[in-house]
Amino acid sequence: MSEFLLLGARQPGSAETSPRLAANDISALTTWHQHLRRWGLLRAFALPQDSASGLRVCLVIRASGQLAASRLAEEWRRRSGYEVSVVPLCDASQGTGEGHRDRP
Amino acid sequence: MSDASGTALANVFREEWPLLIGAAMRIVGDLQTAEDVVQETVLTALDRWPLQGVPDRPGAWLMTACRNRARNVVRDSGRVRRAIASMPLSAAEPHPGDADPASGSGMIGDDRLRLIALCCHPALTADAQVALTLRMVCGLTTEEIARGCHLPTTAVAQRIVRAKRVLRECDAAFVTDEPDVRARLSAILDVIYLVFNEGYLAAAGEALTRGDLAFEAYRLACLVTELIASEPEPCALRALIAFQLSRWATRTSEEGAILTLDQQDRTKWNQELIADGARALNRARAGEAGPLLLQAELAACHSTAASFDATDWHAIVAIYDRLLQVQDTPVVAMNRAVAVAMRDGPGNALPLLDRLAKDPALAASHRVWAVRADLHRRLGDRAAATADYERALKLVANQAERQYLETALRGMAERFPEQDNKRKAETDVAR
Repeated sequence: MSEFLLLGARQPGSAETSPRLAANDISALTTWHQHLRRWGLLRAFALPQDSASGLRVCLVIRASGQLAASRLAEEWRRRSGYEVSVVPLCDASQGTGEGHRDRP
Repeated sequence: MSDASGTALANVFREEWPLLIGAAMRIVGDLQTAEDVVQETVLTALDRWPLQGVPDRPGAWLMTACRNRARNVVRDSGRVRRAIASMPLSAAEPHPGDADPASGSGMIGDDRLRLIALCCHPALTADAQVALTLRMVCGLTTEEIARGCHLPTTAVAQRIVRAKRVLRECDAAFVTDEPDVRARLSAILDVIYLVFNEGYLAAAGEALTRGDLAFEAYRLACLVTELIASEPEPCALRALIAFQLSRWATRTSEEGAILTLDQQDRTKWNQELIADGARALNRARAGEAGPLLLQAELAACHSTAASFDATDWHAIVAIYDRLLQVQDTPVVAMNRAVAVAMRDGPGNALPLLDRLAKDPALAASHRVWAVRADLHRRLGDRAAATADYERALKLVANQAERQYLETALRGMAERFPEQDNKRKAETDVAR
């Protein structure tokens, strides 16, 4: 397994929300994070103090490769509305996901 | 997160939304900026809560974050002096009126009421007041409002943007004392009534009802009655809406067809809403017998009748007579005629309807023709009923009402087959 940094960004004023939508989104996102934790895929998270740059949330996740990380990133984008970037943190260069193993 | 906690969270957001807009407005002094601040606060909650957990007091968390952000916005935009100069009260600290909204201190006790009053500013058109209230006070998105009002999203967005611009141009700020709010009370009640009507009986579209808007109107009416507890008129509106909504679940069949009062299952009427309506009506009776109170009395007659046959049509006609004295409109006169038909028989109401059908305001609506068609049907005059049903069908826009009229028209042929055969024979001869 390799580690990847997922960067969730949102441009200021990019989305209009309502109480109902916000509550739905929080519920859905909470459930998704819980699943990541349960599967041992969420290593850490960070929340910037100042989101002026548009960066809202950073996740450090474990995935079997770039492809798997991209799939998780896409799911995160769909649920949160973030623009998501994937940054390999270590040893993801070989990865398409299939048969990739952690190195010591 | 379970469904229950998701619903609880939605309620928190819904309750907090106008308070957040109000708090931000008091700091930034501009509705657009206040909305941006609240929007950003909610998005911050969306970033943080799924990872850090929902705070123990989510409402307090939102309020603190909102106020901090609003102060940052003021500081960053270099408008500190102007903002402070225009602030009538401390932005962060509660003021004396907060403790008791009905304390009679002369100050408005709640930001939500200030916000409603601002959204109902006299410089705005009724349409703009409705859209702005739904966005700012109820927290609906532009798209939700558009869906509810059956308008294009862009039209609603333009309405809201234009309304904010008008408020900015006329330097509209929160009104700070009760006389100002009382001066706008009539507009506030009109807006709530419009929202309710839009939701309760859709003017166009597929479904007869659009529940969200109707229930939002009820929530607004409850809010206003709580915030201006000393005024009877909001109580009348609350009673009227509560009684009407109590029949919500029974107004249409599972297939979406309209069910009239005599066809509705009264055991399914919402007794809590009826009880709330009765309480509000009692409070409203302390005031003058205005149009809202009399309409609420009418709704109460229907909601509290044990059965359709037990409906007190004498009382209903008497209330319509009083209503006509204070609100002499063709629609009220038409509704009175329906009640007269129930009390004295369709033959006695028909001359009233004939007169009303000549009124240009009613002739363009399907309702007067639908009502007259029904009277002709009950009197056994198939030709006249058919003509009026067909006329109503040309004018009706709501799909459920159209279906109702079509069914009624088809029912004519089953009820009067001999007339149908006679007409067919006449047609054949003519050919």
